[in-house]
Amino acid sequence: MPQEQILMGVVGRPHGVRGLVHVHSYTADPAALPGYGVLDDDRGRRFRLRWKTEGVAEIFQIIDAKRVPVTTREAAQALVNTRLYLPRAKLPPVEEDEFYLTDLIGLEAVDGEGKLLGTITTVHDYGAGTSLEIGSLLIPFTRACVPVVDIAAGRVTVLVPVEVPIAPDAVP
Amino acid sequence: MARSVWKGPFVDGYLLSKVDAAKASGRNEIIKIWTRRSTILPQFVGLVFGVYNGHKFLPVQVTENMVGHKFGEFSPTRTFTGHSSDKKAKRG
Repeated sequence: MPQEQILMGVVGRPHGVRGLVHVHSYTADPAALPGYGVLDDDRGRRFRLRWKTEGVAEIFQIIDAKRVPVTTREAAQALVNTRLYLPRAKLPPVEEDEFYLTDLIGLEAVDGEGKLLGTITTVHDYGAGTSLEIGSLLIPFTRACVPVVDIAAGRVTVLVPVEVPIAPDAVP
Repeated sequence: MARSVWKGPFVDGYLLSKVDAAKASGRNEIIKIWTRRSTILPQFVGLVFGVYNGHKFLPVQVTENMVGHKFGEFSPTRTFTGHSSDKKAKRG
């Protein structure tokens, strides 16, 4: 898949005999997945979802601008492991100083002098602020440490924080 | 008075030394610590700590809501990797 397609969920096992399927939603709010409208798969097919119960959805294939519901268990079984993508352009705009993780991951990180530090591989958030993993470095995602985020240019400027020195006699 | 209240919060001594050094310098610094058992005190608010999880020093930006918790609560020792999809990150 091209990079501008974002994986939003995966179709799981069938549920019942009327074509319902379990759907693994990867969105921040799992219930928000159908709200994104038409989703594509790897083969160019287009789908829409409608939740029936928690984690179980009715699925429609879009054929010639018409919704064709999946009504049998066999048809639902054929969709197992179908990956559902959304074009990046369809994501709503973000506020100032807010970034989609998909935009950050893969950006090049350079230091203040333009020297390449590596590529952002992961973005962590364990409840105490966001941090960027750049190779073996873990950088707090703050204005002090990451003053410039230029997604169009594909790079961020990182000022690696120094470690606080401590006198040897201060350690017990 | 409960015994835990009477004893007061526990903080490793070297941590306080590092915090004093960081506040005095005023530079862009990260305070690397191993003491996951130490309580987060009000004077730590606004500082960034690197809390060791047995593998890496995970950055922990201390905010007011975190006062009274332990540092280890914010540096998980097991990795969870989710999908990014529409998730957002706010620059602090």
